[in-house]
Amino acid sequence: MRASPAARKLAAEIGIEVAGLTGSGPRGAILRADVEAAHRPASRTEATPAQPKGAGFEPMRAAIAAAISRSKREIPHYYLAHGIDVAAARDRLTEVTASRPPEQRLLLGALFIKATALGIRRFPEFNGFFAEGSFRPSPALHAGVAVTIRGGGLVAPAIHDTADLDLDTLMARMRDLVARVRAGRFRGSEIADPTIAVSRLGERGVETLFGVIYPPQVAIVGFGKAIDRPRVSEGRVVPRPTVTLAADHRASDGHRGVLFLAEVDRLLQRPVAL
Amino acid sequence: MTSPDIAATIREELARIAPEVDLDAVDPRADLQEACDIDSKDFLNLIAALHRRLDIDIPETDYPELATLDRAEFYLRTRLAAGFPGKASPG
Repeated sequence: MRASPAARKLAAEIGIEVAGLTGSGPRGAILRADVEAAHRPASRTEATPAQPKGAGFEPMRAAIAAAISRSKREIPHYYLAHGIDVAAARDRLTEVTASRPPEQRLLLGALFIKATALGIRRFPEFNGFFAEGSFRPSPALHAGVAVTIRGGGLVAPAIHDTADLDLDTLMARMRDLVARVRAGRFRGSEIADPTIAVSRLGERGVETLFGVIYPPQVAIVGFGKAIDRPRVSEGRVVPRPTVTLAADHRASDGHRGVLFLAEVDRLLQRPVAL
Repeated sequence: MTSPDIAATIREELARIAPEVDLDAVDPRADLQEACDIDSKDFLNLIAALHRRLDIDIPETDYPELATLDRAEFYLRTRLAAGFPGKASPG
């Protein structure tokens, strides 16, 4: 089945199969316009404006709008922030990665995600789904890693069984995910699977990220930019990014959130064990 | 490989990562990650692709040398001329 990345992306977003469509592109390839045409209600004609001018609701924005509106309407968020010393994690990265070819190098983000996943094991109230009036912890742990889509939008596809992956495998999955999402190639199932979300929006500059929970999940962990703060640790100024937790107060209380972030911190102080 | 080839290779690989960016409009002296809106994972994918295609070892400590289009081209050209083949790195 030939289909453009944009067509596959859109089809995944609105939940239709590209296989069932008729393509108008070269050699019958399915284009974005074909997916749009298939999704458009039959009654709507070109003459009828679908949205007020300026609303410009692309399906991706509509999907985000629906999920986030529900989140803000239904989920009583609470927010916690905690500064983590990442000097040990950075030293470990340099030690492990310096002599490797680029394909095998690690990024700090991989350590963050692994520490989060390992930390969650002792705090099941942050991993699972709130549905039909109650919280159901998930036996599986799939971190949804937020990735921006080039040209607009955001998805957080799952890295399956995150805590069980060694750092090299986790890093390879992250790179693959980013490359695919940027090109619009991801599966609808990847979006539905995560049991907790992790965002590294902070990497691009912000110190602290106040996450919005993606329902029916109950927590999102955010890592801010590693800023060299005038904090003396054994005579050095150390980078100390802020990790944040936004969690569903129906499923957990702040006290547990504090302990969870402390656990993530503790795990990052012993990067060899990640 | 001549320098125009290096410039073209950088652009080809960048176009793969950031297809909607008009590379001709990017200031060759501007910060590449900002100008093309790419993060560290994209950048690592770029480095990996350049390593693979040009067969040049690009140590992590040299990443700042690839901060802009101009600097990246200069660095890779110099590196290639000086003979730092990628196979020199273990693994």
